[in-house]
Amino acid sequence: MDTEPGTGPVRDYRRTELMAICAAREVRDGEVAFIGTGLPMLGGMLAKHLHAPHSILVFESGVVDARPTRTPLSIGDACLVPGSAMLAGLVEVFGLLMQPGYVDVGFLGAAQIDRFGNLNTTAIGAYGSPKVRLPGSGGGNDIGSLAKRFIVMMKQDVRKFVPRVDYVTTPGYLDGPGGRERAGLPRGGPAAVITDLGIYRFDEDTKEMVLASVHPGVRVEDIKENVAWEIRLPERVRATKAPTKRELRVLRTKCDPQGIFLGA
Amino acid sequence: MPLAEAVRKFIPDGCRLRSSGIGLRKPLAFVYEIMRQRKRDLTFLQSGMTEDADLLLGAGCLDRIEGSYLGLEAFGLAHCYRRAVERGVPRSVLVEEYSNFGMTMRFMASAMGLPFMPIRSHLGSDLLRVESFRHPKAVVLDDPFGSGDRVALLPACPVDVSMLHAQRCDEDGNVQIWGQLGDDVWGTLAGRRIVVSVEEVVPSKVVRRDPNRTVVPGFRVDAIVHAPFGSHPYQVQGYYDADVPFRREYAERSATADGWQAWADAWVYGVEDHAGYRTKLGSERLERLRAKRLPSGRVNYGY
Repeated sequence: MDTEPGTGPVRDYRRTELMAICAAREVRDGEVAFIGTGLPMLGGMLAKHLHAPHSILVFESGVVDARPTRTPLSIGDACLVPGSAMLAGLVEVFGLLMQPGYVDVGFLGAAQIDRFGNLNTTAIGAYGSPKVRLPGSGGGNDIGSLAKRFIVMMKQDVRKFVPRVDYVTTPGYLDGPGGRERAGLPRGGPAAVITDLGIYRFDEDTKEMVLASVHPGVRVEDIKENVAWEIRLPERVRATKAPTKRELRVLRTKCDPQGIFLGA
Repeated sequence: MPLAEAVRKFIPDGCRLRSSGIGLRKPLAFVYEIMRQRKRDLTFLQSGMTEDADLLLGAGCLDRIEGSYLGLEAFGLAHCYRRAVERGVPRSVLVEEYSNFGMTMRFMASAMGLPFMPIRSHLGSDLLRVESFRHPKAVVLDDPFGSGDRVALLPACPVDVSMLHAQRCDEDGNVQIWGQLGDDVWGTLAGRRIVVSVEEVVPSKVVRRDPNRTVVPGFRVDAIVHAPFGSHPYQVQGYYDADVPFRREYAERSATADGWQAWADAWVYGVEDHAGYRTKLGSERLERLRAKRLPSGRVNYGY
């Protein structure tokens, strides 16, 4: 199967590694990518090492075109500073780069997502008396509102993939076709959802989430059991391309050698 | 000025208090001292809050929060925040939330003496719709000049006292920071009063040879506190790295109210001041965190 060294698929990898690799594949060369803490950071770094060397990684704490030499613990990690092209603050990266439309892709996590890609990172249950109080928007609402497109990364289960999120922290397509336009949002919307089970995209007309591929070893039944509404399936369900040796090697040796986010 | 005196003099009960630093340079020496002095009914203001807000919530110092994020970043959810909001332990807290960019624009409005700022995020989300104690929390406006664009107007965020932890200042209080600025420039200058802790007080000529790095001019600063390792366990660019095991231990021990109390008794209430905190950490641990040298390039300020 593996004839060309480094490009063939491998079997021995973690789901978190596959998620970071899927994130990297979403970044096209030359794009400006807005990066959050955790797996998206590894995805951005991996993309730059592999197929997108001219992509620009922007962090909301104020770093533009970061080239970190160790795994950053957070978006504010001082290791992002040396070697970056420009250093400023929130106003510059959100106000001057993102709001006018110069950011191509942003990455977000969520505790809940619904069929139109709206995200909740604020509270589970009633807002006034929540079951679980979560951290809140952070820059999530800004990235989801103002980037040209955004990618969601999250672990999937039936309590997280819900028909309607308890609180719309970050707008997806809101109530469906035309929702973002009616709200007055300038652009954007969710382009893909990467979970530990598969990848989802959004129907151009209905703006509804559609299964795009299942990760190797995952069955369509697993997908259905872990979505709380009847998820739309494509005519033929494809499998997510397994990580190549090269993707895994670079991810493990250059992006997160200590397994901080990938798991030790 | 000694830390205790600055807190006693400039941070009264019930004031609107701003923290600083997004993921780094948190003003934790100030936070610990506010806990020791058992301040009450503070309104805490910032975009990215972490241990700073969580500690004050655990200590029962906060009455309200206006912000956008309160969590322990890679170390998980903030447990004191959860206990306060979900169960009112040790007391309940009211939260008015915006986004990171939104809070920064609110500070910018305050800093500029403007009543509000427009922004193009927030639209369509529950950040606009769900109000806690501010009414109106935001107003949606179609461009009166006819472009067809819609904006959300966010009210200025008035700040009684801004706390900032900085790398250095001079005897005149001119404050310099470098590394990621987050919302610190606008947020600090939004304060009617500004208190600053620094790693180092340097001669004035050091600041005046590199004035581009100054973010707060001395005449706006009310108190300077010399507090080496004043941001521990956070990073300060050029001075020290994050103390990861310390942050992980806080995240674990604060998971229960009793665990939090034991942690706070050991690290805050049980030490007299920030020097005592440094002594408890031990010089070996602090030396391990010290930053390696990576000096900037130089520019010519000549003319």
